[in-house]
Amino acid sequence: MDFCKIPGIRAVYPVLILLFIAQTGFGQKIVRYDLYVKDTIVNFTGTDKRAIAVNGQIPMPTLTFTEGDTAEIYVHNQLNEETSLHWHGLFLPNKYDGVPNLTQMPIKPHTTHLYRFAIIQNGTHWYHSHTGLQEQIGMYGSMILNKKKEPDIPTVPIVLSEWTDMNPGNVHRLLHNASDWFAIKKGTTQSYSEAIKQGYFKTKLANEWKRMTAMDVSDVYYDKFLINGKNESQLSQFKPGDKVRLRISNGGASTYFWLKYAGGKMTVVANDGNDVEPVEVDRLLIAVSETYDVIVTIPAVIPGAPSVAYEFLVTAEDRTKSASLYLGEGVKQLASPLPKLKYFEGMKMMNGMMKMDGNLDDMGMKMSLNQMDMNVVMYPEITGPAQGKKIKQTGKKVEAAGTDGMKMAHGKQDGESSHAGHNMYNSNALSSIVTLNYAMLKSPDNTSLPKDAPVKELRFVLTGNMNRYVWSMDNKVVSETDKILIKKGEIVRMVLYNNSMMRHPMHLHGHDFRVLNGQGENAPLKNVIDIMPMETDTLEFAATESGDWFFHCHILYHMMSGMGRVFSYENSPANPEIPNPRLAQRKLFADDREFHLMAENDFATNGNDGQAMLQNTRWSIGTEWRLGYNDHHGYETETHIGRYFGKMQWLMPFIGFDWRYRKMGMDEVETNLFGQKSTKDKRSVFSAGVSYTLPMLLVGQAEVFTDGNVRFQLERMDIPVSKRLRMGLMVNTDKEYMAALRYIFTRNAGITAHYDSDMGFGIGLTLNY
Amino acid sequence: MAITLLLSPFLSQAEIKNVTTVNVKISGSCNICEEGIEAAAFQKNISQANWDDKTQIASVSYDSKRTSLDAILKKVALAGFDNESYLAPDDAYAKLAGCCRYKRTDKDASVVQKPAHGHQHGTDMTGNSKAETESSDPLKPLLDAYYSIKDALVNSDGNAAAASAAHLVKAIKAVQMTALGNEQHMVWMKVMKDLDFDADHISETKDVGHQRDHFSSLSENMYKLIKAGKPSQAVYYQHCPMAKEGIGANWLSQVAAIKNPYYGAQMLNCGKTTEMIK
Repeated sequence: MDFCKIPGIRAVYPVLILLFIAQTGFGQKIVRYDLYVKDTIVNFTGTDKRAIAVNGQIPMPTLTFTEGDTAEIYVHNQLNEETSLHWHGLFLPNKYDGVPNLTQMPIKPHTTHLYRFAIIQNGTHWYHSHTGLQEQIGMYGSMILNKKKEPDIPTVPIVLSEWTDMNPGNVHRLLHNASDWFAIKKGTTQSYSEAIKQGYFKTKLANEWKRMTAMDVSDVYYDKFLINGKNESQLSQFKPGDKVRLRISNGGASTYFWLKYAGGKMTVVANDGNDVEPVEVDRLLIAVSETYDVIVTIPAVIPGAPSVAYEFLVTAEDRTKSASLYLGEGVKQLASPLPKLKYFEGMKMMNGMMKMDGNLDDMGMKMSLNQMDMNVVMYPEITGPAQGKKIKQTGKKVEAAGTDGMKMAHGKQDGESSHAGHNMYNSNALSSIVTLNYAMLKSPDNTSLPKDAPVKELRFVLTGNMNRYVWSMDNKVVSETDKILIKKGEIVRMVLYNNSMMRHPMHLHGHDFRVLNGQGENAPLKNVIDIMPMETDTLEFAATESGDWFFHCHILYHMMSGMGRVFSYENSPANPEIPNPRLAQRKLFADDREFHLMAENDFATNGNDGQAMLQNTRWSIGTEWRLGYNDHHGYETETHIGRYFGKMQWLMPFIGFDWRYRKMGMDEVETNLFGQKSTKDKRSVFSAGVSYTLPMLLVGQAEVFTDGNVRFQLERMDIPVSKRLRMGLMVNTDKEYMAALRYIFTRNAGITAHYDSDMGFGIGLTLNY
Repeated sequence: MAITLLLSPFLSQAEIKNVTTVNVKISGSCNICEEGIEAAAFQKNISQANWDDKTQIASVSYDSKRTSLDAILKKVALAGFDNESYLAPDDAYAKLAGCCRYKRTDKDASVVQKPAHGHQHGTDMTGNSKAETESSDPLKPLLDAYYSIKDALVNSDGNAAAASAAHLVKAIKAVQMTALGNEQHMVWMKVMKDLDFDADHISETKDVGHQRDHFSSLSENMYKLIKAGKPSQAVYYQHCPMAKEGIGANWLSQVAAIKNPYYGAQMLNCGKTTEMIK
């Protein structure tokens, strides 16, 4: 073992504490864990893949402490890369919070790092790597902090997670390149042909008119979902009539899970490590990184009858797959699976909410606390099965013919005034299924904060756009903002509004916040709050610590894209774990400044057609090429370096360089629509221009070249014709045009047929990275 | 018949590799069950079953490298059929055809607390208590039939809406014009045809979406009609700005509380009262 990371001073420190304990005579116990972090090979799908195991296991071992203990956790990094561990939901000194480059430097390969802190709270928590994308490939585990006196009921720690065979770095890159491979795998392309078939053509048109691509409730396709590392497992030690407390943490990198139990209702007794007044529900959605304690009962049987095991069903929010844990022994009673989402209904709802400028319009409904779940329009179990819309369409025609007079009446609406009267909407009123929402959580204790403390109010708008996978707060990522200074002793009140199209589980390190949910003094304490699109939530916490604390979206890929802020206590003592704060900051910022590469080339019968692009949050460096096989067809490249502006990033001014060579006939000259001439034979010019994404996702481009030529162009690639068929169209004022159809076979390959005004008709194999 | 039945498993089994065949008990009660069970167990070139309704035994053949008996029995249970490994979810069982609702012996042994059903929302018609007071209103039957369409749509119940619309068609025919006031009479002459048209269409389909389209114009005409007179009870004119993809739509209600007929359960409480007619 290599203890070189631990300075001598710190080695003395525990001894001092030990002495102190011995003197005062308290029963304070030191609980030591040694965690060996090591590369491993796993096989969840039939293919061997790299993962990271701790002490040889995925998930990482459950760490158990009792309130009052002192935790001593030695992390032995046996990887060939840096790592770190964050103790999610724990109150501890800032330097042990485990955020690399913020509260400590990363744990270097083949070194050991000690985390040592007093356990001053109780509850269900968990821990995970905060380095890169390691959380996706195994670095998550339960952390159970027991009360000094726990209720006498069997308890099972459960950590939920997901697995993809794809390297998470690749997942992240694909997300940033707007690849629709995940949608193809999930069957959620929402193409035009599917829309027409299901009677939602107008919905799809309106959706693209508002510049939205296919909608989904989650970003990534996963191969397997896991409960404690297994897709299916059974705990047969429980007998009919037993009550069992499940201490559930969602260790998934980007998946929300529906929890259901086949043996009746579940009683929610704690959330994010804090007790709540027991509430009975049929199901609940656990957000990424939340924890819930629920009590379930194995139903009793008539004496003498064989016992039955009951399924605890964990379904990914996108309902592609699920995982099961059977409680009890005997024949297994299944829970009813969640039916597939009605995506086009969701799209329709989204259309109603999306304004042309990309902002969301809640139509005056003040939404908060997950009470009004817009997604219920997609839930067949609540809003009925998908309906055949063909009948409806013909019906509409009849109406249009027969009730012309009615149009007038629709025309004069009651105007904006009508928006004000919307009630908050409790989805539980809609069906007999009781779904947990945050308004139902009530702390058993008075959680109110000191009345006389000064209040600092902060407002954040959660922003982002799916097309470019930019996720931010107030349209700024971590590297574009300063730390937010707070003062010890004040109350920080945050009002968060989600103006993006995805939900975000926002997590605050080192503090619990009160969620102002209408429970008054008994507002529940949490450290993660899920905010759905258009929701506004108000949180408050007492600033009692010191140091730098991360506040971020816990969807791993959103966090790595820069969706977060750092709260920094004014006048904090320097953190001994950060010897060089400037270096640390630069490394922290590197996460969301990262460039992502994409490249594709069509090896066609009439030439090569392709592009390569490097992009990050704001910048795009791209080259397109068309390389013929002979001089007559010519060779041509266009390079653009641009910067995206605005929240929706529709606008991108750029500078560019064009080069082309082509052998045309003698003195043959092409003219553009403006009468400007160009021989094209040998052209190498710089340009400046601007591209803008128009409704229907058409990209308009205006460009001026150094030879005085001007070009306007309209282009739309990747029109989803069917599940795997994409169409591309382009036309410009140089009288060039192109139409292409591509069929996608795999993540990296497809077949393209295209017609190009320069190179004619061609068919070829497209490879993309 | 018997020969094909006997042969069919062998014929198709040829395509399943690494075949394992086992006999398992699967609950069921008639030949409709047989289709359901065999369809649930079937996966091309991977698994299939042949179930006998007398013995309730299925002969299950499967490719042991690509699936397991457990996985097949889980699918069979999810289709509604209890078996030796899994019990079907209650709602899967409830969806089975009537003849196929076999007696659930294993299931009955356990005492499961069922979630409370039958909590019907949107039907608490508080207005009904005073319903019979003033029968002198000539449009009362019309309004009542309209309200029951509305309530059916609140529940997204296409069948009930169609039935209520049929009542409305009758009610429209039965209206005595002479009993109407002068102004109301004029409006009635204008809207009667359209009312009949929309009511007729709602009664002819069970598609709630189509019914709602007609319901919005029906509501506009009802509003004009009611407003022209003086209803015997207060009528609330309510509006949802989200209906019809953001165009917005109105309806009449006997109660002030919002129960949105355009989205049903999706947006039950979306809307507001814009006018009270009394």
